[in-house]
Amino acid sequence: MNAALLILIAAPLAACLLSLVVRTRPAMERLQLGHAVVLWAAMAAVVAGVVMGGHGGSHGEGGVSFGPLLHTDPLSAFMDLMLAFVGGTALVYASGYMGEELSRGHLNFPRYRRFFIYFDLFLFAMMLAVNLDNIALMWIAVEASTISAALSVGFDRTKAALEAGWKYIVLNFVGIALALFGTVLVYYTSEHVLGVSMEALSWVSLHRVAGELNPVVLKMAFVFVMIGYGTKAGVAPMHTWLPDAHAEAPTPISAMLSGLMLNLGLYAVLRLKSIVDPAVGPAFAGSIMLSLGLLSMAIAAAFMLIQRDYKRLLAYSSIEHMGIAFIGLGVGGPLGLFGGFFHMINHALAKSAAFYAAGMVLLRHGHKMIDRVTGLARQTPAIGGGLLLAAIALAGLPPFGLFVSEVLIATAAYRHHHGIAYLFLALLALAFATLIAPLTRMALGKPVEAQLAVAHGSDRLMTSALGINLAAMSVIGLLMPAFFLDLFMPMTALFEAKAGLP
Amino acid sequence: MPLSLHPDLGSQLINLCSMLLLLTTFAIVAQRRLSACVDLFALQSLFLAVTAAVVAWFTDSPHIYIAALLTIAIKTVTIPMILKKVIERVNVKREIEFVINIPPSLLICGALVILAFSVTEPIAKLGFLLTRDSLAIALAIVLIGFFMMIARKKAVTQIVGFLMMENGLFLGATASAYGMPLIVELGVFFDVLVAALIIGVYTHRLQDTFDSVDTTKLTGLKE
Repeated sequence: MNAALLILIAAPLAACLLSLVVRTRPAMERLQLGHAVVLWAAMAAVVAGVVMGGHGGSHGEGGVSFGPLLHTDPLSAFMDLMLAFVGGTALVYASGYMGEELSRGHLNFPRYRRFFIYFDLFLFAMMLAVNLDNIALMWIAVEASTISAALSVGFDRTKAALEAGWKYIVLNFVGIALALFGTVLVYYTSEHVLGVSMEALSWVSLHRVAGELNPVVLKMAFVFVMIGYGTKAGVAPMHTWLPDAHAEAPTPISAMLSGLMLNLGLYAVLRLKSIVDPAVGPAFAGSIMLSLGLLSMAIAAAFMLIQRDYKRLLAYSSIEHMGIAFIGLGVGGPLGLFGGFFHMINHALAKSAAFYAAGMVLLRHGHKMIDRVTGLARQTPAIGGGLLLAAIALAGLPPFGLFVSEVLIATAAYRHHHGIAYLFLALLALAFATLIAPLTRMALGKPVEAQLAVAHGSDRLMTSALGINLAAMSVIGLLMPAFFLDLFMPMTALFEAKAGLP
Repeated sequence: MPLSLHPDLGSQLINLCSMLLLLTTFAIVAQRRLSACVDLFALQSLFLAVTAAVVAWFTDSPHIYIAALLTIAIKTVTIPMILKKVIERVNVKREIEFVINIPPSLLICGALVILAFSVTEPIAKLGFLLTRDSLAIALAIVLIGFFMMIARKKAVTQIVGFLMMENGLFLGATASAYGMPLIVELGVFFDVLVAALIIGVYTHRLQDTFDSVDTTKLTGLKE
């Protein structure tokens, strides 16, 4: 189990280094597909290890460790599950997508190779961030992921991509600097309790002594971390980089940003919440998260109304869904927490699937205008059907998991405050309409002739990635495997599930 | 012999150094020429290294010396060198362009300092006696760096703003918490260096593509 944790983190780094010496497209595809398989296997072993051994419930007990710095508790295992699964399908998808770009001559081989180097680095940094048992080293890994994604966002050398990349850099680097200030503040109070040492930065130790830390300092730290990592999570009002970056980045990166990087930001906020709550009560962090969540939903739903670019539409939908997860986790209590976590993973699967389909449309039509694409389901059933299924899931319709999580979060919000629940439901309805209408129009109706053909080999890879994601999404939505409960229950214990917002 | 000097002297010295840091921050905000801005940043980083060395001396924590040396190597020498190259490469002869002009900028920065002091007032007493006021000054520098990123148009000045924020953070970590563990400091340095490199690369590309590093010309993407 413990070796599996090391493999899980080392695999992306190894793949990144091996990419440096790859000389042909088939070799790169074999490497990245092998990378995906290794990720899945190692992730399964780590998650199984945590679920079997991790019934202790509290932060310190159970879990899988490697060396003094790596420790995987249930919350980390949950992130591993998401990162490795979606990261793996994104690798399969990227092999097809970037291969197609290569064979069309949009890229030369060195740039094709560079894409995978950045991509693997990005995945490595995120994987490292969620498994480090150290608040400051986690910051370093999160910063590394921000930097490696900066290289990918501006990868296409168009004016628009550069502008999006610059916006991403400015906002996220400022955000990450503020998060470091929050981290320093945590150390400022924890060193009085735990001494000047690495232990004063360990999540396990911080959680153990959280009650003794200075509440005023922790409140300040949470505000800085919320602004900082919240920027990365794409919540309003720090979301302005997100639509541009998602629209202009190569599509496999858009899927990674929406599915994984936003959740990494939320993970970092949650970690801090888990040590702030015992010291100042859940209401402080909870109400900040709740208000930013509602603001994100409102802004996203409004801007989705006027979108004409389908990748931007999906990007705004990510802001909305992150808002929903923030609301669930902010309200807290067993229902809110469970709903929030379940929302995170279902959104990761559904949104990356939607981007996979969108990228395949982009490759065929060569533009991102919603109006000029119709009838996908008749023309290319796999893409049209996939897009439609993802749209149904993202709109929160049954039978998919996002429906379940939204109902849970609405219930939790209703118990907290009736008005907030009504507002939540109204915003949900608005977002539902503004998302489902354009996407169904794209999937159904009279087909528009595609401008470009996609090579069969590339297409097969992309379709498999889409299929795997949709299958996983359906399985967890319809069947809810038992190990989810085993994983979620100890996770909610981190936040003293009984004490939600009053 | 760390305690051979009177501890009051230590705290006076650290306060002096922090004030010098704050002073250079204001000087950068008031600067019209781009290359002078970079020079001042190098000077600020030097003061930062001196502050760190003073803290290291009075608290007898040798790992802070390493951080101080790294600060000189990276922030006083390497990064300003990169920035100078960028300025040369993109051929920015013109002066810095402002979204907010210098006099109001200085007023706003003054207000930010007051804000920083009032925000940290309730928690300052928790800190070590030696470095009580440094946390407020650190926060002030972070906020002013942030402001600089908003209020200046050229990409290079935005980089300087970002680096100033980092300097403020480093002051906060060193002075108020006597430094983070060394491995953390090393990681942060590495990240900052890479971040500065990446921003430099982006600035080159902006120049190549837009023929300008005026970021207010980036207006293609909006609703």
